[in-house]
Amino acid sequence: MIELRVQYLAQLRTARGVADESCHLPEGATLAQLLTQLAGTHGAEVAKHLYAAAGVVQPSLMIAVNGTAISVRQSSQTLLRSGDVVTLMPPIAGG
Amino acid sequence: MTYPALTPAEQSRYEWQMWVRDFGETGQRRLKAASVLISRIGGVGGTVAMHLATAGVGRLVLAHAGDLRLNDLNRQLLMSTADVGSPRIESAARRLRELNPQVVVETVNENLDVSNVGRYVSQVDLVVSAAPLFVERLAMNRAAVRQRKPLVDCAMYDLEGRLITVRPGRTPCLDCLYPESPPLWKREFPVFGAVASTVASIAAMEVIKLLAGFGKPLENQLLSYDLREMSFQTIAIARRPDCPTCGQLSA
Repeated sequence: MIELRVQYLAQLRTARGVADESCHLPEGATLAQLLTQLAGTHGAEVAKHLYAAAGVVQPSLMIAVNGTAISVRQSSQTLLRSGDVVTLMPPIAGG
Repeated sequence: MTYPALTPAEQSRYEWQMWVRDFGETGQRRLKAASVLISRIGGVGGTVAMHLATAGVGRLVLAHAGDLRLNDLNRQLLMSTADVGSPRIESAARRLRELNPQVVVETVNENLDVSNVGRYVSQVDLVVSAAPLFVERLAMNRAAVRQRKPLVDCAMYDLEGRLITVRPGRTPCLDCLYPESPPLWKREFPVFGAVASTVASIAAMEVIKLLAGFGKPLENQLLSYDLREMSFQTIAIARRPDCPTCGQLSA
């Protein structure tokens, strides 16, 4: 198993109720697997900010791994390691 | 390019900021020659406008339709209770002229969209994007990139703020970050005035740096902060080669 940290920003933080938490995944897990796990375990309010439809990650969700943005299209190819920090940032436009 | 000289009154007004290293009188003259479009004039855009006016940016173009409402006032530093029910843009302009009569303030009593944004962007050197809807932000972004003008995008939600600087051909644009207009964003959002002011103040300083040509702009990074946790971070962001707006643009 690997252990990583997930940071929730903006509406996802509101939906999840915490700013960050640790998460466990099998060795060799990808970013896509993390999103699937989060959507499956934290309810519809969290899931809707992660997925636009079944299997389709919200195209405008910003995701960073260790401070570098990763395209949602790369989520299936992005391997995660123990100690990684994954930041999930729904778009905001308050002005 | 030669920049306009400062009058004795301007020398006095800006004396303390001209002491800033690398800015000086040259930076002040560059600000005097510069123009900025700000849309809209809410808690964020209004505070950006206030700082740019007091800093001496020569011409400000403010865009925002509609009248001031009582529930705008928790975050409006340019407007007062007596202004409720009046066009907000006029209240803002009046206050800015009081703050600094040496700055030209122009008002546009409409919101920006694809039909008018190109015209207003063409009248300025730099764009500040502070609209509460992505459709407006994306329209400003496309016009700014098309016209090769820098754009500072500042946004907030709850106790969080974010800032991105778009330098067309050199940094990601908003379409690189948001390939689709975000469907879940709601027009009304939780906001403290102090949070809106924070991102606005950072944005204003970014604008001043870009116009005066000093310091290091926020290139290829997104600044994000959360005042609930008192945490600040930058995220490295990259251009999207297939971005329909800037993908083909060279530096």
